[in-house]
Amino acid sequence: MRALVIDDSRAMRRIVGSILEDFGYETRQAGDGQQALDVLEEGYLPDLACVDWNMPVMDGLQFVSAVRSNPAYRQVTLMMVTTESETNRIVRALAAGAHEYMIKPFTADAMRDKLALLGLLPVEMCL
Amino acid sequence: MSAPVQEAITTMVDAATVQSIADDVWTSLVGDGEVLVPLPVPATEVTVSAWVQITGPWCGAVVVTCEEATAVALTECLLRARPPAVIEPEDVDDALGELANVLGGNVKSLLREPSSLGLPQTGPIPPAFRPDDLCRVDAQWRGQSLTIIVQGAIGTPHTERNEVPQ
Repeated sequence: MRALVIDDSRAMRRIVGSILEDFGYETRQAGDGQQALDVLEEGYLPDLACVDWNMPVMDGLQFVSAVRSNPAYRQVTLMMVTTESETNRIVRALAAGAHEYMIKPFTADAMRDKLALLGLLPVEMCL
Repeated sequence: MSAPVQEAITTMVDAATVQSIADDVWTSLVGDGEVLVPLPVPATEVTVSAWVQITGPWCGAVVVTCEEATAVALTECLLRARPPAVIEPEDVDDALGELANVLGGNVKSLLREPSSLGLPQTGPIPPAFRPDDLCRVDAQWRGQSLTIIVQGAIGTPHTERNEVPQ
């Protein structure tokens, strides 16, 4: 499985990326929504995109909206991974097309649970 | 007529709550079993700071400050799974900024009305304007001092009612 980790923090990209790699994912990274769109346009279509909300250039909500408006990216599951924890933010993200929402800080176990909910936990990790 | 003064942060958030948020952040991001021990006296050596600004009815910043060696050690912990060969100053700024960002996001969620969170910044601590509009946690991590401050930025609340927080 493939994942695209989108966050303006290199540290957070490494943290999320390493958790996903421990779960068997191949990962790529992008520092903002526009960079992430560029990756998709290159033809890298991930099963999962983990998307921060507050980023320069193009924020996570704009990225989610852009991905959802393009049928070519229908297969990409979008999970917000953000410090934005108010209910109105979660509602906005889900309304824009995000499939799941995870609030920072989180643990590897919390990520595992979300992936299992989404049906994106590799079978060997479910054993 | 004088401008309205924003409600002090201490009416919404106390030091124990900030400490509790920091405990969760440390366990999740810095490492399992990593703890912040409250300090009875303020830390004196501060060389590195990162913060995020909060804008809304309450305007201010959530600041993390510590010595440079502490910031480097925190960076190594955050990057524990895949550390670069050399920790660059940019890595330290980024890691400390992300800690401020996560702390700030969680503090923001405790405010009474929707607000916006800025991007992390590093540099000299932004000035605090009112001593009563400040909530401070002094702590030690691995024996090194670290301070988390939630401080008001200005005396006038942000009152643009039509603004949609991002």
